[in-house]
Amino acid sequence: MAPLIEARDLTKKYGAHVALDRANLKVEAGRIVGLIGPNGAGKTSALRAILGLTNYEGQLTVLGREPFRDRTQLMSECCFIADVAVLPSWLRVDQAIDFVAGVHPRFRRDRAAALLAKTQITGKRRMRELSKGMKTQVHLALTMAIDAKLLVLDEPTLGLDILARRAFYDALVNDYMDETRTILITTHQVEEVENLLTDIVFIDKGRIVLDTSLEDVATRFIAVAVTADRLDAARAEKPFYERHTLGKVVLYFENVDRAKLSAYGELHTPSVADLFVAKLSGGAA
Amino acid sequence: MNTDIWLIRREFWENRAIWLIPAVFGGLLIIAALFGRVDIPTMTPGSHGQEASGIFLLAIGVMFYLVMSLYAAWYLLDCLYTDRKDRSILFWKSLPISDVKTVLSKLLVGMVLVPLVYFVAADVTALITAFILTIRARASIGSALWQPEVWGQVQILWMYVILTTAVWYLPVAGWLMLVSAWAKRAVILWSMLPPLVLYLIERVFFGTQVIGHVLNRRLVGLPAVAYKGWTHEGNVNFDGHTPISVWHFIDAGGFFSNPQTWIGVAVGVVLIIAAIQLRMRRSEI
Repeated sequence: MAPLIEARDLTKKYGAHVALDRANLKVEAGRIVGLIGPNGAGKTSALRAILGLTNYEGQLTVLGREPFRDRTQLMSECCFIADVAVLPSWLRVDQAIDFVAGVHPRFRRDRAAALLAKTQITGKRRMRELSKGMKTQVHLALTMAIDAKLLVLDEPTLGLDILARRAFYDALVNDYMDETRTILITTHQVEEVENLLTDIVFIDKGRIVLDTSLEDVATRFIAVAVTADRLDAARAEKPFYERHTLGKVVLYFENVDRAKLSAYGELHTPSVADLFVAKLSGGAA
Repeated sequence: MNTDIWLIRREFWENRAIWLIPAVFGGLLIIAALFGRVDIPTMTPGSHGQEASGIFLLAIGVMFYLVMSLYAAWYLLDCLYTDRKDRSILFWKSLPISDVKTVLSKLLVGMVLVPLVYFVAADVTALITAFILTIRARASIGSALWQPEVWGQVQILWMYVILTTAVWYLPVAGWLMLVSAWAKRAVILWSMLPPLVLYLIERVFFGTQVIGHVLNRRLVGLPAVAYKGWTHEGNVNFDGHTPISVWHFIDAGGFFSNPQTWIGVAVGVVLIIAAIQLRMRRSEI
């Protein structure tokens, strides 16, 4: 089966600034992919290109279509939430449901109604009267009622408190995700999404620096906590990053034999956040 | 087709001023008719009655037309800007609606549906005020205001006014929408500044006023093109026709065979295409 998203040499320039620099990316169906990168790394540009919101150079297909040319058709099979706060303030909840039901062929009204029935939100309320958490619930109800093959989330929980953030991700995993769907998500709060991701993509300075599944992370990357006396010997195995903590140095290795490394100290699989720091700082060093 | 109806409904949800302003304005005129001084000279029946009825209806029509022009200009200038300002464009763009449809629905609302709302409001206001004035003024003008023939002709005139206004002001509408799709802030300033600067540059450096004349003719030149007997002093010359009929000064043939009409339409189409392109491509909000 062809990948759901395939980007080849995807490039986006704003004048002299290169936001995406020949980025390559593949996303298979049924995955939950985290697109992770520092500010200004090109995350939003990549998402905008994938959603057909901007033109680009290079090759890009999403659900077999060219996003910029076929945005309208693409949006009938794909949906996105780019920051939850974007529902217009004048819109009433019942109007929002009527409108989406009117224009979206895959919207299931009963499902949106069922999701909203679980909340305190009534149909006559306008968005401006709702708290940020409630707006999220409305937006999520609208989105989850769409039978989309691809859901794109761009910093979906920005500005939400921890309760609302947790509720958002729980709903996503429990009520939404199944094998027919694919989710692409960007966020700063890596720790928060770590357990729900199946794949991670690191992006830095417009380039994809890592694109792997989480299962592969466990076999490919090893962090070793090394004591000072064994440090030089361990360094000979060429770690790509060192992190100095209290009394110990953690060395990060890629594709190095486990048996060999266990001689230098305690092994563990780095968390996504640690790996992110290691990969991006290591690359710069 | 279905999508188009929802898009138009959406505009009426968002812009309640479309019907609130004419409703309030009509209400004020009705209050004036109720409590204002009625000081209309006694008239003899016959052609004087037609004249009184015609002047009465035209006065109300012109007032509504002026308010409508201001509102429609504001609406068009605002329509592609507010959703970028509050970022709700990201919600609208997550739905399978093409930018062509979005822009054209707003053009249709601003140039046709808003004028139709004002036309209905003007008619209702005229009916109610005529009724009030008839009771208050008793015999003096009572019968003079109720001339079915004149009322019928004014309806025709309104339709002609809406049609010619939409065609003649298409380049103005296109320009306002282009600014609306482009400007990051201060849409009113940006809508006026470029024409003003061009006018001044031409005047200072070339000593001519071609741009000024073109703009002036476009903004206030519609009556001269669309009506017969329109003198430069701004008076209508009825050529001594009695009884007066709208057919004596509606000049549809002249309007639609005037090259200026079609040059304007061509410019308008180009500007609207540009606005659509900007709506599609503008990657930063």
